[in-house]
Amino acid sequence: MNTSERFFRRYIFSTVRIIVLFLAVNALLVASYFVIAYLGNVATSKFPIEDFSNHIMATDGEFSADTQAKEMLNNFEAWAMILDDDGTVVWEENLPEELPRHYSSMDIAMFSRWYLDDYPTNIAKRQDGLLVIGLPPESVVNYYFSFKAQYIWPMLFGLTAVFCINIFLMIYLFIRNARRVEKAMAPILRGIRHLSVGKPVHLEETGELAEINAGLNKAGDYLLKKDNTRADWIRGISHDIRTPLSVILGYASEIEDTSSLPEAVRNQAGIIRRHSERLKDLVADLNLSTKLEYSMQPMQKQSLDPIELARQVVSEVLNDGLSEPYELELSEDNPGKNISILGDQVLLNRMLNNLIRNCIVHNPNGCKIQISVGSNDASCTFSVMDNGHGVSELQLNALNSDEDISSTQKQTDEAEHGLGLKIVRQIVKAHHGDVLFSGAIPHGLIVSIHLPMKL
Amino acid sequence: MNDRMILVVDDETELLEMVRSIFMRAGFTQVLTVSSGEAALKVCKEKQPDMVILDVMMPGMDGFATLKELRKISKIPVLMLTARGEAEDKFAGFENGADDYLLKPFLPKELLFRVQAILKRAYPGKDRKVFFDTATVDLEKAMVQRNGESISLTAKEFQLFEKLYENAGRIVTTGALCQAICGDFWQGYESTLATHIRHLREKIEENPSKPIALVTIKGIGYRLNIKGAQT
Repeated sequence: MNTSERFFRRYIFSTVRIIVLFLAVNALLVASYFVIAYLGNVATSKFPIEDFSNHIMATDGEFSADTQAKEMLNNFEAWAMILDDDGTVVWEENLPEELPRHYSSMDIAMFSRWYLDDYPTNIAKRQDGLLVIGLPPESVVNYYFSFKAQYIWPMLFGLTAVFCINIFLMIYLFIRNARRVEKAMAPILRGIRHLSVGKPVHLEETGELAEINAGLNKAGDYLLKKDNTRADWIRGISHDIRTPLSVILGYASEIEDTSSLPEAVRNQAGIIRRHSERLKDLVADLNLSTKLEYSMQPMQKQSLDPIELARQVVSEVLNDGLSEPYELELSEDNPGKNISILGDQVLLNRMLNNLIRNCIVHNPNGCKIQISVGSNDASCTFSVMDNGHGVSELQLNALNSDEDISSTQKQTDEAEHGLGLKIVRQIVKAHHGDVLFSGAIPHGLIVSIHLPMKL
Repeated sequence: MNDRMILVVDDETELLEMVRSIFMRAGFTQVLTVSSGEAALKVCKEKQPDMVILDVMMPGMDGFATLKELRKISKIPVLMLTARGEAEDKFAGFENGADDYLLKPFLPKELLFRVQAILKRAYPGKDRKVFFDTATVDLEKAMVQRNGESISLTAKEFQLFEKLYENAGRIVTTGALCQAICGDFWQGYESTLATHIRHLREKIEENPSKPIALVTIKGIGYRLNIKGAQT
């Protein structure tokens, strides 16, 4: 699981947690409302009709209410009446004028449940009649619920089910939304990953996140343009430097070879020539390294014999004239075995050439350089070994680590390892191989390169 | 060979001067220089040089365009000088009919070697001979003269000898020699090559087991050391 997947998983979990919390808080709030309402007696909006009834006396068919009863009525701004069995008002208190003084059994049935001319009513049965209390209009709301008993349980079950379905639906929609965002984000994240390794980015500039995609495309184009500018610049410089360098190299060689000139002058010309040659190599390295880095040079893959390749490199070095303190040898691990690998002849030639030059540059007092080529079923091994002074453990670790050699340059002789070895590594990488630096016994450096037989 | 007329084309006059100086010192007597493709075509028509050294990057008509025009009127050998060093240059040059190319900056001896190799190939002399301490090889007749007797070379031996002679004094790899005899698919031919080498040695060496002229460079190839040549 990568970081973004983890992020979305966490996002979904936190959403579920939020829903649970939301429900819990609501349940708590409702519960506390009921507790407060109960304690504050809010629910008892009902007129205390039984109590009131007790305060009305009937003596010989005459009703009378005491002061307490009247006070109760006034508190509630209510009125009261007592109906006899025929529905005639036999006693009244505060009864509005407009209300009738006689009621049919149908009227009684209606107002006992609902309203009497907009007055909500409470009724209580007395021995001597029916006590009716009328409360001010709109002070009480009457609802009347009635269910068939057999539906109570299914209804409770249904309500729970509806509740649960809602919750699940909510969670499902949340997850679906998160997935949609994740899906929309995936190409963007891929684009960012590509950018980070310098690959070109092109995202579809459609959908809700089109703006981000467009931004990434723009950033990718910008980086590409910058890389191209840099590569063009290096190519331009290396091109412009070649002609002057040819003139320097040519005249320096001429002076060096003119036997009529004083020895000292010829030696100096030789030094100019050697340094010009180093500059020449540097320019070529710079150009090639840039091209490899920005993948500007397509590989010309072909089937080739690695031993013949090594022979060519060694013969080129020997034909160019290897000075006295150096020895160069080539050996095969399995003589007579025919092997062929798929690779770019020019690049692999350059790789071996750079390794040999590296031995020469770093051992100015001379050394023996042994190159060997071996193979097994899966890979081909080139090894370049010298018996020079080698490198320290620290430098070996730096060489074997993946960090960019040129970026670790310090003001030491390490710096000279720079471009030459960087190119070796780039070429090996382009061939999907690996390179290992190790110390030789008793001293010296071994560079082993393993290349897969087939790319 | 040194009386061959060489035309050098480059827009850099100082480079032209240097190249002229290299050839003059090497004994060439006729070196012409021009600084544009148009001028080169004109000189080629008027003076018919034996070889052209052509720079690729020139203002106006560049090296490739010049070569294309040149090929319409002449087959003279052309060596391209390129400052770009891109793989495409190499192929574009060969497609247009260049004989070889050399990357700037170059060493004088490299330039001379390439030019001499091209001239040798393009203008084989009538009475070409290669001299060794104990034998002389007649390239026209494919014969070896040793101690007054004539020994003929087989076709394969001659191909081998020519390849070595073209690169006299330089190491030629086993693969390059095999390729000279049997083309691109030469793998597995090494042991046969060793047999041809042995036969060649028997013909040109005083003591074939201790060769002086055709020496083995262990693990790499062979080198032909010649005493002199008449071309």
